[in-house]
Amino acid sequence: MIEFRDVYMVYEKNWYALQGINLRIEKGEFVYVVGPSGAGKSTLLRLIYMDLFPTAGEVVVAGYSSSRIKPKEIPYLRRKIGVIFQDFKLLKDKNVYENVAFALEVIGTPRRKIKEKVLKVLAEVGISHKRHAFPYQLSGGEQQKVAIARALVRDPFILLADEPTGNIDPEGTREILELLKNINTSGTAVIMATHELSLIERFPRRLIRLEQGRIVEDTGVRS
Amino acid sequence: MFVLREALRGMWRNRVMAFIAFGVIFFSLFLLGLFLVATFNLFGVIRYAQEKVEITAFLEDDLPREKIEEIKKRIEGMEGVERAIFVSKEEALKEFKRDIPKAKELLQALKTNPLPSSFKIKIGEGYKNPEAMKRIAKKISVIDGVEEVKYGEEWIRRLDKVVKFLFLFDVLLGVVISIASIFVVSNTIRLTVIARKESIEIMKLVGATERMIEAPFLLEGMIEGGAGGLFTAFILYLLWRFLSVRILEFYFPTDAILFGLTLFGIILGYMGSMVSVKKYLKGGEA
Repeated sequence: MIEFRDVYMVYEKNWYALQGINLRIEKGEFVYVVGPSGAGKSTLLRLIYMDLFPTAGEVVVAGYSSSRIKPKEIPYLRRKIGVIFQDFKLLKDKNVYENVAFALEVIGTPRRKIKEKVLKVLAEVGISHKRHAFPYQLSGGEQQKVAIARALVRDPFILLADEPTGNIDPEGTREILELLKNINTSGTAVIMATHELSLIERFPRRLIRLEQGRIVEDTGVRS
Repeated sequence: MFVLREALRGMWRNRVMAFIAFGVIFFSLFLLGLFLVATFNLFGVIRYAQEKVEITAFLEDDLPREKIEEIKKRIEGMEGVERAIFVSKEEALKEFKRDIPKAKELLQALKTNPLPSSFKIKIGEGYKNPEAMKRIAKKISVIDGVEEVKYGEEWIRRLDKVVKFLFLFDVLLGVVISIASIFVVSNTIRLTVIARKESIEIMKLVGATERMIEAPFLLEGMIEGGAGGLFTAFILYLLWRFLSVRILEFYFPTDAILFGLTLFGIILGYMGSMVSVKKYLKGGEA
């Protein structure tokens, strides 16, 4: 489903963000990507949703290869991938409902279907009661739930989470992790970059450790 | 629906810039419109004057009737000549007296009739331009028995030159105005693009196609340009009504101005936003 074949990522000059990455992630897996800041966690995720392309090697996602994908095809790949971030990336001038609906509007989903899907996903992440609230009226945990709802509303096969609990209090963090577990149980693969090792202890799953752009540990599938 | 809403939202957010863009397009197109109407009208005057022009071939005195008939036939046989009407010395004198009554006494003092007989030559459609007339006049002037050929008037030829120059000026003005308008619109749209940076990022992230991302910006530019063009046409129309009633009547192609300027405004707006979209959307990553 996701495969990295000898991937190198070089930013400017001789700064190697990733070096010789070989990796396979199967359908429905739950994977932690850990490592210190600058180890290449974000770069790894961005290569998956093809926001970046490898300097050398190949990344294959859902049948799309980084070396052959046409720019026109990228939007269609992204519709199958959900991404959430540490800073949520919600639109400040839209309320909760509108933020989630936005993800469907811009891919041309019919109006009636949008309403049905948005209400359903808001219930799933447990934020229905705040659907008219604006982001500034929500806690960090609640904002991340909205971001998750926005990612899920397009029924992705995978959810990429880049430090999703970085800006959230412990209680919120526990809820978000619980939510990600449920999402994974229903069949969506989850790849989560984090440096909060306490999360992993609470819910151990496959772990990939990056250091200076190299994989130094891969526990393989654990359940 | 989404696209229109986003376009209007973008304009509202940058309403000052949007208004400036509208204003600049209005002002530019207004200037262009004025020059175009002036050109149209001068061109109309020339066409009218050219319609009326004819070639006059003055004949030598005392030509026998057969000779005159022969000349008439030769002239009428030429390409571009419709008809040649004979004007005798007596008729010429009568016409002259009628046209310039004050010359009566002067002519009476002269005893003899100084005016030559002549042919008034009507020119066919498609030959009523300085070049063709010159050609015909030259051919007539070499006919035996023809003393002198006169055609057109110097001022018509001069006006023709003026209109050609004016037309060139219109084109030049059009180009300058287009560049200025595109520049202003692209700057306005650039601000909208920057203001909507986050929303663009999310659109890319959730898999909106490039076309979907661009559409609101292109529409915004087209609305700004189109509104500028439409308003220009409206103001020009009012100006025309006002001038026609009070000062002088002139030709005003209402439909052409209305549709032409609006369409031109839309095209300018589209091109302006395209410049920004290409520059600020295509380059960046999500």
